[in-house]
Amino acid sequence: MAEITVLFFSYAADRMNGRQHRYTIEPGTTIGDLYRQEMEERLQQPVAAFMFSVNAEWAAPSQILHDGDEVAVIPPVSGG
Amino acid sequence: MDIVRIQDVPIDVNEGIAAIIDERAGGEAIFLGTVRNVFEGRASRGLFYEAYRDLAEKEMKRIEEELKREFDVLHVVMVHRIGELALGEIAVMVAVSAAHRHQAIRACEAGIDRIKSRVPIWKKERWADGKTAWHDDPEAGAGQMR
Repeated sequence: MAEITVLFFSYAADRMNGRQHRYTIEPGTTIGDLYRQEMEERLQQPVAAFMFSVNAEWAAPSQILHDGDEVAVIPPVSGG
Repeated sequence: MDIVRIQDVPIDVNEGIAAIIDERAGGEAIFLGTVRNVFEGRASRGLFYEAYRDLAEKEMKRIEEELKREFDVLHVVMVHRIGELALGEIAVMVAVSAAHRHQAIRACEAGIDRIKSRVPIWKKERWADGKTAWHDDPEAGAGQMR
């Protein structure tokens, strides 16, 4: 088992009722797996609606997560 | 010198100008993004910005390197503010210097366009009627907001 932290921003943080959650995952779990298991129902959008990062670097939904990783769920950006 | 930074204090335009001035430069271009009093036809009283700072500054640094490579600019300043901003306040500053004006103007435009499309920063509209909505929130009734 691995412990990971997930950061949420913008409306994703509102829907998840918090900016940060911790999850315990099975070995081999990908970002996409975690999203579908823990977030899709609350965020009400498919995985393709978001970008992701792991340890502050862009990551594909197919990336496998490891103990201690910090994942971010990144809605469409709107800076400027 | 170059500046790439997310900050929660007001943006100092003079700091940006001082950073890009260079005797080799014949042109400086500066873009300021400011908080507007209306969005999509609805009165607004301000914006709240948040960023994923670690990744945002990393992505802005990449954009800085792209501008230098693609437009041959001498110096690049990109500063984005986060937190609560009132109408008229500066949310973002992009400033570049180059040997010639076309390079500077094109690089400045590319800089703000790339910040807007790639850097993990989000804005929440604070409507004049007291309601709020994140831009691009599909459930805010303003999914087309941008």
